Amino acid sequence: MYEDHGREVFAVRAVDLTVHDGEFLGILGPSGSGKSSLLYLLSGLKTPSAGEIRLDGQALASRTETERAEIRLTRFGFVFQHPHLLGYLSALENVLLARPDGDRRPEAETLLTTLGLADKAHRLPYELSGGERQRVCVARALMGRPRAVFADEPTAALDHRNGVQVVEMLNQGRGDGALIIVTHDPTMLVHADRIVTLVDGEIAETPD
Amino acid sequence: MYLRRNRGKSAPLTLVIVLAVLLIAGIVAMINSIPLSIRTIYAYSQNYLGVTPRGDPMQTPILRAVIERESPVPIDRILTVRGSEAQVTSIVGDWPFAVLGLPPKDFDYYLRRMGVTRISGRLPKSGAPEALVSEPVARNQKLRIGSIVIGPDKNDAYSPLPVRVVGIAQSPNWMMLTTYEYHRQHHFPPIDVLLVFAKNRADQARLDDWAIQRFEGRRARLFAYRQLEEEADSMFKILYKILNVIIGTLVLVITFMMGMLMNIYLSQRVPEFGLLQALGYSKRTIVRRVLGETALVVGVGWALGLVAAYGLLSLVRMLLMDPQAFALDALDRTAYLYSMPVPLAILLTGVLTVIARFRKFDPVSVVERRLL
Repeated sequence: MYEDHGREVFAVRAVDLTVHDGEFLGILGPSGSGKSSLLYLLSGLKTPSAGEIRLDGQALASRTETERAEIRLTRFGFVFQHPHLLGYLSALENVLLARPDGDRRPEAETLLTTLGLADKAHRLPYELSGGERQRVCVARALMGRPRAVFADEPTAALDHRNGVQVVEMLNQGRGDGALIIVTHDPTMLVHADRIVTLVDGEIAETPD
Repeated sequence: MYLRRNRGKSAPLTLVIVLAVLLIAGIVAMINSIPLSIRTIYAYSQNYLGVTPRGDPMQTPILRAVIERESPVPIDRILTVRGSEAQVTSIVGDWPFAVLGLPPKDFDYYLRRMGVTRISGRLPKSGAPEALVSEPVARNQKLRIGSIVIGPDKNDAYSPLPVRVVGIAQSPNWMMLTTYEYHRQHHFPPIDVLLVFAKNRADQARLDDWAIQRFEGRRARLFAYRQLEEEADSMFKILYKILNVIIGTLVLVITFMMGMLMNIYLSQRVPEFGLLQALGYSKRTIVRRVLGETALVVGVGWALGLVAAYGLLSLVRMLLMDPQAFALDALDRTAYLYSMPVPLAILLTGVLTVIARFRKFDPVSVVERRLL
C-alpha cells in the first residue's frame, strides 16, 4: 500500500510467493498491475504496510534499514528499467560500485569481457549506446555472484534483440543465484523456471 | 572522485567560497588597518612617558623630582625637551604629531632608544631651522632632504621659519626632531616637556601605569602608550560594533546564497544518491561521503580564500599603503578569524540539506525515474 495524493493505494495484496535458491522466476503483468512494487518488496527496497517478506525465515522488516541495505549490497543484484549509471564513472567503475569492498577489479573486468564490453570498460556512460549501458548494469548486478538478481523490466528501453541478449546474459551469469525478472513481455521469459502473473496487485495464476 | 570528475560543478562552488572569504577577510583587514595605522604612528610612545605641566610652566622641575623620587622602576634617563605640533596623514585623514626639540647632547640617546640604524644626511644644528625625520614620516609626508617640514606657510605645522629636513633616520618609529634651542627661540608657549625613559619596555609599561595613577587630577598631562591604546579602542568601539553587524549580515547573506547553491548542487546528485541507496549503500555511508566531499570543497575554498586574501592584501599594501607608510597587516589574524563562520555555516547548511533530503528519501522513486 502506498499513498497517492492522500489516497491509500494497494499496489500488491494477498500475495503469497516463495522464491527458491537458484530459481529463475518471471513476474508477468500489464502496466500498473503491481509487479514492480512486488519486486521492490521482495528485494527489501520497499517495506510492506501489511504482511511479511522473509529471507531465510527472517522477516526483512525486523531488520534495521542499514541491515537491509547491507543485504542488498552483498547478496542481491539489481537491474532497473532504465540503465542507471553514474555519469562521472567509467563502465568499469560503475560495475565496481556493486561491490565496494576489496579489490574486485579483475572480476569486474571479466564480467565486462563476458558481456562484450572489454574495449569499453574505461568509457563514460555517455559514450555507450543504450544496449551497452544496460549490459554494464547487468555486469554490475552480477558482481560478487549475488544470491538473487532482481530485474525490473530490464528490456523495456531496448529493442527486442538487445532485450533477449540482456535476459540471456542475466540467466547465464547468475550462476547459482536466483533471478527474478519483472516484465510485460512473455517472450523474455522462455527460460524461466516459473512465471507468476499479476493482475491488479494479485497473483492471477502460477503456471508450472 | 565526484569532485575531480565534475570540476565544472565543484570549481564554481569553490570559487564562490574563495570570493566570500576574500571579501570578508579583506574588509576586516582594511578596517583593522585604521587603528593599526594610528598605533603605528604613535608606537614611539612605547619607549618613554611624556609629561608636561598644566597651567603653570614652573611645575616641570617639581614633576621631575616626584618621578625621580617615587618611580616604581629604575629610570634610565629623563630628557627635557620642547615641542610643537605638525600633522601626519593617516587613512582617515590628518592626525596631530609632535615635533620635538631636543638638546644636542640628547640626540644620540634618543635616536638609540628609537631604534635608529642609520641616518641619511646629518643631525640638525642647535638653533638652526633644521629637522631630522624618520623614514616613515618622510614617506608619509613625501619629504626629502631639503623639504620644509614645518614653516610659516603651513597652518597645521606652523613655525615662524621654514624648517628644512637635513637628515632622514632609518627607524620603524615615527619622529620629527629639531633642536631645543630652535624651539626655545621661535615657539610659544615656553613649556619644558619631560621624556621619561625606563630601562626597558616592561618597566616602561609599569612606569606609565604608575604615572597615570600618581598624576591623576594633578597639574600634569601625560602622554603614555597605554592611554593611546585605550583612546584608540574607545574611538573604534562603535566602528567595530558596526563592523560586526555588517560582517554578521554578510555572513548571513553568503550563507543563505551558499545554502541555495549547495541545495542545487546536491539536488543534481539525487539520482546518484537514489541509485547508490537502491544498490545497497546505507544512508549513513552516502551522507558521510557527501559530507566528506562538501567538507573538502569548503576546506579547499576557505584555504584558497585565505591565500587569495593574503595575496590581495599584500598587493594593496604594496601599491596603496606602503607609499604613504599606512599600516596594513596582510596576516591579520582577526580578519582571517572573521571569515571562519563562512565555511562553518556552509558546512552546516550542507549537513542540514543532506539530512533533510534523506529524511523522506525513496530510492525507488529515483530508479523508476519519478524524481528525474
